[in-house]
Amino acid sequence: MSGSRDAKSARFVQTIVEVEGRTETRIVEVPAFEPAPWTADAPLTIVGTSPPRVDAFEKVTGRARYTADTVRPGMLHAVIVRAPIAKGTLTSLDLTTVRTLPGVRGALGPGDAPSATRLFRREVSYAGQPLAAVCAESLQDAERAAAVLEASLAFDRVPHAVTVDDAIAADAPLVRRGGNATEPTIVERGDVTQGLADADVTITREYRTPVALHSALEPHGAVCEWTGDHLTIWESTQGIFRVRSDVARALDLPQGQVRVLKDYMGGGFGAKNGAGAHTYTAALFARALGAPVRCLNDRRAEQTDSGNRPATVQKVTVGARRDGTLTAIVLDALVPLGVSGWDGGPAQVYHEMYACPNIRTTETCVYINASGMQAFRGPGYVEGAFALEGAINALAHALQIDPVALRLTNLATRDDRVDREFSSNRLAECYAEGMRRFGWTSAVPPRPSTVSRLRRGRGVAAQTWPTGGGPPAYANVRINSDGSVDVLTGTQDLGTGSRTILAQIAAEALGARLDAVRAVIGDTERLPYAGNSWGSMTTPSVGPAVRMAADDARTQLLEAAAQLLETPVDRLTTRGSQVLRDGVAARSFAELCRALGKLQIVGHGSRGPNPALAVVTVGAQFAEVEVDAETGIVRVLRLVAVHDAGRIINPALAESQLHGGIIQGIGYAVFEERHIDRTHGAPLNANLHDYKVPTMADIPAIDASFLDGADPAANHVGARGIAEPPIIPTAPAIAAAVADALGVELCALPLTPWRVLGALAG
Amino acid sequence: MKLSVNGTPRDVDPSRSPTLLAALRDQLELTGAKLGCDHGECGACTVRLNGDLVYACLTLTAACDGAAVQTVEGLADGGTLHPLQQAFITHDAAQCGYCTPGQLLAAAALLDQRPHPTDDEIRTAMSGNLCRCGTYPKIVTAIRSVADASGASATRADAPPSATGDAP
Ligand code: FES
Ligand code: FES
Repeated sequence: MSGSRDAKSARFVQTIVEVEGRTETRIVEVPAFEPAPWTADAPLTIVGTSPPRVDAFEKVTGRARYTADTVRPGMLHAVIVRAPIAKGTLTSLDLTTVRTLPGVRGALGPGDAPSATRLFRREVSYAGQPLAAVCAESLQDAERAAAVLEASLAFDRVPHAVTVDDAIAADAPLVRRGGNATEPTIVERGDVTQGLADADVTITREYRTPVALHSALEPHGAVCEWTGDHLTIWESTQGIFRVRSDVARALDLPQGQVRVLKDYMGGGFGAKNGAGAHTYTAALFARALGAPVRCLNDRRAEQTDSGNRPATVQKVTVGARRDGTLTAIVLDALVPLGVSGWDGGPAQVYHEMYACPNIRTTETCVYINASGMQAFRGPGYVEGAFALEGAINALAHALQIDPVALRLTNLATRDDRVDREFSSNRLAECYAEGMRRFGWTSAVPPRPSTVSRLRRGRGVAAQTWPTGGGPPAYANVRINSDGSVDVLTGTQDLGTGSRTILAQIAAEALGARLDAVRAVIGDTERLPYAGNSWGSMTTPSVGPAVRMAADDARTQLLEAAAQLLETPVDRLTTRGSQVLRDGVAARSFAELCRALGKLQIVGHGSRGPNPALAVVTVGAQFAEVEVDAETGIVRVLRLVAVHDAGRIINPALAESQLHGGIIQGIGYAVFEERHIDRTHGAPLNANLHDYKVPTMADIPAIDASFLDGADPAANHVGARGIAEPPIIPTAPAIAAAVADALGVELCALPLTPWRVLGALAG
Repeated sequence: MKLSVNGTPRDVDPSRSPTLLAALRDQLELTGAKLGCDHGECGACTVRLNGDLVYACLTLTAACDGAAVQTVEGLADGGTLHPLQQAFITHDAAQCGYCTPGQLLAAAALLDQRPHPTDDEIRTAMSGNLCRCGTYPKIVTAIRSVADASGASATRADAPPSATGDAP
């Protein structure tokens, strides 16, 4: 939907945007102009190269300041006291004594926070729920006081349900007033009864996936400071504007009185999408005490009550003809969300991964007495793909067809879920390139040896994930009087590298040197709006806005230069922060800007509407594992990943994103699982010793790559998102390799020694 | 109580900051060592104490009287980055960067002890420093590049298999 706008065309239109796999219709402004798309063969010199991160120096020298490092003059420290039980009523707590303890400046308990913050309620519905908070001059004093307060808590306990099975049992305690299970969401196309009748082979499996914890190394945290009735918040967040609106709503403030700042953050992965208990606690104490307040989760709180990937139980049936053509896919899923959450939806991937005429998915969300879920890298698709890809691999084995060949037979050629053509879908090429790199042969492997102790196996799985991004997102590009360039946009860099790639896009479009361009992000007060950095959306949403702003700035600069140089503008171009006349350097940006005096050049850009196409990032992963049949230990030996995300802005940074997703996928496959004690209702492994994330020693050789090319139909930069796709196929590829090694399928994650030995014992 | 921090004598009050991590961050305003867990689980707080690697969150300030502490802020030699810092930049070995100070000090200690580690030795030595962003492969590459640049060749016989099938 590019091209210039004439007087008759609408200024605002509807467009469809996919966020974390969910579809939203939005009203968006049509930009005044949109640059012509950068096609695959566009002669780009900065986009597509791998300069180091613009903030790498700060990170390796310790100068990068994270929220946890933020200190304000006279700053106090707040600590939240949390429920040790899963369900009941807080009957008493001793705030009076706590207020007299050394260093303590304030304490908050039930009734002390505005109801919109949902803080400090007496009704307890999960372990880890905030019940009260203390604020003191030092963190040490605050922690001591919190311990005293915690010891003073008394409860009336009632029975809880912390597992899905307990929550749906006939006599289950009520987790939420409306009932423990939601109405099932049923999505169907075609006729699965007929599809199953047409099948020569059907496979039915029940898959179980665990609760996984984001475990960002920097915990959630905020520093809040009031100046009169204006609140400034430093927050480790993926969405500064979302934090602003959350806090404004909860504290009943106009948004203009809340400023949210974020410079560096130590990871988010979906758990840091809005304000949280720590934000409200810091803001309330700061207002009451007239001093800045910092509130950080400790690691236990972080692993207990800061979001999680919900568990799933997925019963899957797939039917196919003897030649491998799928005739039906049926899913029945239970998703225990915790006490709250949205349906991250394992079902969705079932509707878009394969060209199958008959699909029915039934999803039921279940409430349990545990902290609510949050989006976690590829929400829903990670869980869904584990089961769907597992069933497809089982089908391949049953049909004695190579699992890649089976997938190619059923390749989706359009997105039937949203009933749209793809902007581009090169999954078949990803398989081919992955097979080549891995050395995958299409021959069906011989049965594994069941005598050796160390058994090797190979497996494959694939992914799709909506990564089109979309409006609204705005950017300004300002050329300073010394020729340096500021890219101004209210987005955030979680560690993904958005600061770097937005500078690259601006430098490319403007014809500036990259080292003269700086991206200024993370400030709701001074920067134009950009949305949350979630759903792999930042590059395809903000990137085009930045490019348009840089284009606009370049046009203005050239028009001004045409006057100054008395040369028609069509003879002028820019490159390397120079204006060229007939291809020969005439003036540097610095010289030109000096000559232009105080004239300020600011280009404006916005993200235009989405095309009426399905925009997805796809990929295939191949794993080789070695399983020790005596100890049950699974070792991932190597992993080959090939993904297609359209144009890659910075290949080195994009490769790092693939590594990150794959390594989290290895954790999900082999180690990670939150445990809650069923009897007591409290978490058993709310720390990084017992909740096992991969260490360097666990990481195999990883060969991760992208297909070359661009997707100019998706947006005019030609880039799609990449952050979430790589975690999706890792676990099913590893599980397939383990099944190949052992000759036994394991249908529950993680693939711990106990599960492996149990499966081997039959 | 006196400490030498990055070569400079500093005064700290152990009663205000029981752990070395708190003393560094809160009293000396050296926030390069990060707070990730405060319980010796993650390695974000890794610093060197008289040359040895320690988790600063598990190190008692009072036990450090007269000790020499090195933090990431002291890794560069004046204006010149430590070779590992440069290699981390070149090889994109920092994503969010929160674990990076700890990784750098762990790597520096490793190379001081074993200038030419095998990849397996790197993986083992570095496994006390978590990186949730999954920067591990690039950290290995960065350390490897510094080790290789420093002369003698290392034996890599015990390296794990290459990810691609056509390699040995
Ligand atoms: S903060 Fe010291 S090991 Fe995590
Ligand atoms: S770079 Fe983010 S934790 Fe290591």
